[in-house]
Amino acid sequence: MLIKVTVNGIVYEREIKENRTLLRFLREDLGLTGTKEGCGAGECGACTVYFNGKTVNSFMVLAAEADGGVVETIEGEANEGLLSALQAAFEAHGAVQCGFCTAGMIMSARELIHTNPHPSKEEIQEGLEGNFCRCTGYEQIIEAILDVTGQYQEKEELIYV
Amino acid sequence: MIVDFSYKNPKTESDLLELLSSAKGKAKLLSGGTDLLVGMRSGVYRPELLIDVKKVPGYERLVYEQGKGLTIGCAVTINDIVSSKVVHQQYPLLCACAKDLASYQVRNRATVVGNIVNASPCSDMAPALLCLDATVCIASLRGKREVPIGEFFTGVKKTVLEKDELVTSIFVPQSSASAKGVYRKLKRIQGHDLGIVGVAVVLIDDAIRIAVSSAAPTPVVTKKLDRSLSMEKMLTEVESIISPISDIRCSQEYRRFMVLEYAKRLLQEVSAC
Repeated sequence: MLIKVTVNGIVYEREIKENRTLLRFLREDLGLTGTKEGCGAGECGACTVYFNGKTVNSFMVLAAEADGGVVETIEGEANEGLLSALQAAFEAHGAVQCGFCTAGMIMSARELIHTNPHPSKEEIQEGLEGNFCRCTGYEQIIEAILDVTGQYQEKEELIYV
Repeated sequence: MIVDFSYKNPKTESDLLELLSSAKGKAKLLSGGTDLLVGMRSGVYRPELLIDVKKVPGYERLVYEQGKGLTIGCAVTINDIVSSKVVHQQYPLLCACAKDLASYQVRNRATVVGNIVNASPCSDMAPALLCLDATVCIASLRGKREVPIGEFFTGVKKTVLEKDELVTSIFVPQSSASAKGVYRKLKRIQGHDLGIVGVAVVLIDDAIRIAVSSAAPTPVVTKKLDRSLSMEKMLTEVESIISPISDIRCSQEYRRFMVLEYAKRLLQEVSAC
């Protein structure tokens, strides 16, 4: 079937098979490989994208359902090569280790900040409950979000002897 | 990879029911897809046709009518419930259960009706709907019918639904509005997880009802119990409706123990107010 989807502001028309997931459509048909496939079961959140203004696991959406819809992915986060404030905070705090979860983390963090501009640490943990980081670098991710929402307090520098 | 199927998104209820009826059991209804698409990937479901319900006008309606009750259309998502002020005010127990369902992204897609139709023993929405005496509104080409939620589940992943039938909405009556209710779900981690057990307790006009998930083939609920009953008698009632099993998550004994422990704590919380 033919679908027409707006992804990061660009309208794409593609012929797809009905069993194509939105994730595969983004990665394989459009070449937007920033969005990752992790568990394929709705547990890990690596495939999180915005679909019609809400974060979803793109593995659990059919491309057919996205016909006429609007999708935003990690590729749309930076503006003409300039990192968004959220991305810059992730970079500054070392919130990226292997990087596999990062695209999904950024999507969920953006949604969290949108609905709650000054989230507490607990609220950040709750907002990101659907995104797993198997490097377990959660602390830096939380710090980055506290920072970008103007709530980060510099820790005293550790002195190694 | 997901098996081959065809996809239809009818724009009217009659078209949808026509499709469903002519598929003769080879179709699956797609709403949030958070259970269905995962099940299709693992090969549990192999439908030839997916019928998307989300394009039918009215199915996304979440409406409260003073004096009547709350209607939850079959495309209403879990996060629609969480963020609804009127549900929060009138049916706080629904919000409490909804908040505990999976993760934020899943709640953006998963629907209340889907959670019920899926008929998992560990359904998060069922305990609240059972406590609040909800009614399941069903349609097919043969006509419409309403089934009390207490009679809807018939076994693990089984319901009274016939192959040509669709749940169009769930109705929660006014008589359950503003009820004091609490829900607690035991899970391995604080974040999203399937429950080891879930217990909901509600107090409506001096009558208490206790609903339990993950401790029987279906979510279950006690009959209306008088508030003045002793704790011991209430817990005996709870024990009589559950039939826990041992599985990968925990043993039968632990499940039984935790259901009774949570029921006790929640009963104390509810009667303290």
